[in-house]
Amino acid sequence: MSSSLLVALAGQPNCGKSTVFNMLTGARQHVANYPGVTVEKKTGFFSLGDMRVELVDLPGTYSLTSYSLEERVARDFLLNDNPGVVIDVADASNLKRNLYLTIQLLEMEVPTVVALNMMDVATRRGQSVDIAKLEQLLSVPVVPTVAKKGEGKEAVRIAVEHAHAEKTVAPFVVDYGPLESRIDEISAMLAGDPTLGAQYPVRWLAVKLLENDHEAEVLLRRVHSAPQGVLDAVVLARAGFLEGEGRDIERHIAYARHAAAGRIAREVVAVEEGRGRSLSDRADRFICHRFLGPVILVLILLALYQVSIVFGGWLAAEVWPLWGGIETFVSDMLPAAGFAEDPLVRSLGEWVVKSMTAILNYLPIFLLLFAFIAAMEDSGYMPRMAFILDRLFRRFGLHGQSTLPMILGGVYVGGCAIPGVMATKAIPDERARLATILIVPMMNCLAKVPLYLILIDAYFPQMGGLAMFFIATVTLFMALPVAKALSLTILRKKEQAPFIMEMPPYHVPTMGGVARRSIERTWLFVKKIITVVAAVAVVIFVLINFPGLSDTRRAHYAAEEKAAIDAFMVEVDKTEYKGVITHDDVLGIILFDEALRQAKVGVTDQAVSDTINERFDTANPVYSAVVRRQGDSGRTLNRELRKVVSVRKQLRREMRTERFEGSFLGVVGRAIEPVTQYAGFNWRINIALLSAFAAKENSAATLGAIYGIDGSGQSVEESMKQEEAGFTPLHALALMLFMALYPPCIPTSIMVRHQSNSTKWMMFSIGYQSLLGLLVATLVFTGGSMLALSGFQAMWAFYALCVAVTVVMAMIPSREEARAASEDGKEPCKENCS
Amino acid sequence: MKKLLVLGLLSGLLVLSVQAYAHSPLMSCFDNGDGTVTCEGGFSDGSSAAGVSMIVKGPDGNALMEGKMNQDSEYTFDKPEGAYTVVFDAGEGHGVVIDGANIVE
Repeated sequence: MSSSLLVALAGQPNCGKSTVFNMLTGARQHVANYPGVTVEKKTGFFSLGDMRVELVDLPGTYSLTSYSLEERVARDFLLNDNPGVVIDVADASNLKRNLYLTIQLLEMEVPTVVALNMMDVATRRGQSVDIAKLEQLLSVPVVPTVAKKGEGKEAVRIAVEHAHAEKTVAPFVVDYGPLESRIDEISAMLAGDPTLGAQYPVRWLAVKLLENDHEAEVLLRRVHSAPQGVLDAVVLARAGFLEGEGRDIERHIAYARHAAAGRIAREVVAVEEGRGRSLSDRADRFICHRFLGPVILVLILLALYQVSIVFGGWLAAEVWPLWGGIETFVSDMLPAAGFAEDPLVRSLGEWVVKSMTAILNYLPIFLLLFAFIAAMEDSGYMPRMAFILDRLFRRFGLHGQSTLPMILGGVYVGGCAIPGVMATKAIPDERARLATILIVPMMNCLAKVPLYLILIDAYFPQMGGLAMFFIATVTLFMALPVAKALSLTILRKKEQAPFIMEMPPYHVPTMGGVARRSIERTWLFVKKIITVVAAVAVVIFVLINFPGLSDTRRAHYAAEEKAAIDAFMVEVDKTEYKGVITHDDVLGIILFDEALRQAKVGVTDQAVSDTINERFDTANPVYSAVVRRQGDSGRTLNRELRKVVSVRKQLRREMRTERFEGSFLGVVGRAIEPVTQYAGFNWRINIALLSAFAAKENSAATLGAIYGIDGSGQSVEESMKQEEAGFTPLHALALMLFMALYPPCIPTSIMVRHQSNSTKWMMFSIGYQSLLGLLVATLVFTGGSMLALSGFQAMWAFYALCVAVTVVMAMIPSREEARAASEDGKEPCKENCS
Repeated sequence: MKKLLVLGLLSGLLVLSVQAYAHSPLMSCFDNGDGTVTCEGGFSDGSSAAGVSMIVKGPDGNALMEGKMNQDSEYTFDKPEGAYTVVFDAGEGHGVVIDGANIVE
C-alpha cells in the first residue's frame, strides 16, 4: 500500500533549516528569520520509496517553552498533528545551544532524526563532532549534513525511513535533580487517566505543568477526566519547591536543560588546539567591549540614520515624479474637475490615491533601511547589538532585541512605527515583546515632525534647537518608564524568556541576500499597508467631508463663483473673443491651463517645451491664446484669468475648511472640547489631532487648512499665532507632548493588532496612549499654568521629571528579580561574547 | 556605568541627528512669458506649502528676492536679468533648488 508520512522540520533560527528544507523537497524557498516570514507554514513534498512524505517547516525557535507565537505554533503542531518523524536541524558549529531544542523535542517523545547541519562551518572553526557518541547519548540517529551543498540528503532520507519504520522512541531523560520526586508524583497522577496516558507523553506533560505552562493546563483540562486534582497538586508542588529550593521551577528546569545540553556538547565536540579563539571571538573583544561596544553601536546607528533617512530622503524626492505621475494618471482617468466642487468620484479617487502615494513615497527609505538591517543581521552584528543593550533594556522590562523596533520607530527623530512594530516579532520574550509593541508608537516617527516644526517655529523661535532636542529625547524618557510600568502591571503575568541569542561568527553579507531580503520585507510592508490605507482613506474621507455644506452655504459659494465668471466675461466681451468665449468655456480654459502646466512639469529644455506649447496651440487655439498670452486680447484675458483662478482656489479652500469643520470629525472635535480644554486644546486642535490619527502627516496639513484660510499670504505659524490669541508656548508644549504620546496612526494600530494577535491589545494600545497623552498634556498645561511657568521653564521642569521617573523606574525590581535574584539568565551569551 | 554611557551616547546621537521630515518637498516653476516666473510648491503627502520661504538667488549666491509661498502654495516673482536659482526652503536640508536656466516658457 502506498502510504503517506507527515514529517516536521524543527530547528533554531539560523541553523540552516530552510536550506535543509530546500535540499529535501527541492523547492525554492528563501532563507530568513526576520519578523514573521517563517511563521507561515511552509510545506513541501518528497517521496521515500512508494511513500509520499509531506514535510512541514516549523518556525525557527530556540526553545519550546515560552509563549512566543512561533513556539506555540511549533509545539501545537508537534502535539496535535502527530508528525510521524521530526527532523531536528542543529547547527554543528553551535552544538550546545542547538541541543537545548533537541532535548525538548526528545522530551516530547516524538521520533526524532537529528540533522547535524553546517558541518563545514564547524570544521572550518576547528571543531569536530563525535557523531557516534552523540547518537549514543541522545539515542536517536544523527546525520551530518552540509545542506547548502546538498551533502547528507540521502542519509537524512534513509534515517527518516528507519525512524518511521521503528516507531519506538526511547525518551531522553533530563535529570531535574531535586525536582524529580515531584515530577514522578504528577506523572503518576497523569498516567492514571487512561486516554491521556495513551495519547500524550506523560513525563513531558508533568514537567510542563510544573513549569506553569498555560497551554499544558489547557491540554490537561481538555483530556483529563479530573483535571482539578492534578492542578491542585501542581500548585502545591510549585509552592513546595520554591520554599524548599528557593527558586522558581521555571528557572530550575531551564538550567537543568542547559546543563544537560552543555554536558553532551562537552563530550562530543573536540576543539582543535590553538583554534579556541577564532577571528570572530577576537572581534567580539572590541565589539562587545564594555565601553568600546556602545561607541561602535552608536557609530553604526549613526550610519544607519545617514543612509536610510538622510540619503533615503533625498532618494525619495528623486523618485517622487513616479508617484506624482500615478496621481496625474489617475486624475486624468477620473471625471473632470468642476469650478468650486468636484464630482464625488473624482475627489474620493484623488484622496485615496493621494493617501497611498504619500506612503509609497517612503519606499526608498524602507528599502535602504531594510537593506541596512539585513546587512547587520547577515554580518552577525545584530545579536551583538541586542546583547549590548539587553542589560539596559531589562531594567525597563524590555529585551535586547527591543533595540531594532525602537530604532525603526524613531528612537531619534525619524522613523516609522509600522516597521518598528513589525520588527517586534523577533523578540522571544512575550512580556518584553508586548511592552515593546506598546511603546514603539511613542517614538518620534517621521510624521510627527512637521507638527513639531510648526509649533517650535511659532512658539519657541529663539530656542528652536533646544526645543527640538527636548522633544526628540524626552520621548525615550517617557517610553522607558511606561514600558516598566506596563511590565510591572498588566503584562506582569506574561511569560519571560531568558536572553539566549546566538553569536554567530561574523561574515561578509552578500549583495544578493541583502537585496532580496530588503525587497521582500518592503514588499510585505507595501502589501499590508497599501490595502489598509486604501480602506482607511475611504472611511476618513467620509468622516471629514460629510454631512457636507448646507444649501444656503452652497448657494453662497455658487453666487461667488458666478460673480467671478461674470467679471471675466465682461472683460471677454471687450476683446476680439466676444462671442467666441462663452460662460461655459471659462472652466474649460482653467482646466486647459492646468493641463498645460502639468504637461510641462519637469521640462527643462525650451525645445521640448515649445513642442508641448504647439500641441496645445493646435488642440484649442482660442484657449491657448488666453492661457499662453497670445496677442493683445490674450494678454488682457490672461490677467483676468489669473483673477478667476485665484478666486477658484480661494473658494475651494474655504469650502474645504467649512465642510471639514461641520463634518462628523469636526462635531466630535467640538464635543470633546470640555475635556481637552484642561490640556489647552480647543476644538480646532482637537480636529487636527483626530484627523492625525488617520495618519500623523495629516496634523500639519490640517492645522494648515484650519489656520491658513485667510488670503493674507501669512504662514501657517503666523496665522495660527494671530487667530489663537490666547495660545501660549505652554499650549504648544502640551500639544507637542500629546502628539508624541498620542496613538499611532491607523496603519500602525492595524500592525499592532497583527503582531499582538489580538484586537484587545490594539484597543488597549489606542486607549492607554490617548489617555496618557491627555494626562501628560493636562499635567504640563494645568500644572504649568498653576505654577506660572513659562513654556520653556515647563519644558525643562517636565524633562527633569521624566529623567527622574526613568531612574526611579530602573531601580524597581521586576517580579522575578524581587523573588529570586539568584542566577544570571544570560549565561550562554556571556560565554560567547566576553 | 555602562547603562549611563549607552544612554549618554544615544542622547548624543539625538543632538547630532539633523531634522528629518515626513515628506518630500516638491516644486515646479514656470516662465509665465510676461517677465514673471511662478513656482508652485507642495509636499509629497499633499500638505500645503503655504508660508514656506522662497529665495531667488543671483549667480554669486546673494539673495535677489525673498518671500513666502502664498495661500495657494504659489510664489510669483519678476524674472531676473541674468542667471538665477530659485530656492524652496522648507527647513535645513529640506528644500528644492531649481536653476533658472531650467525654467522655460
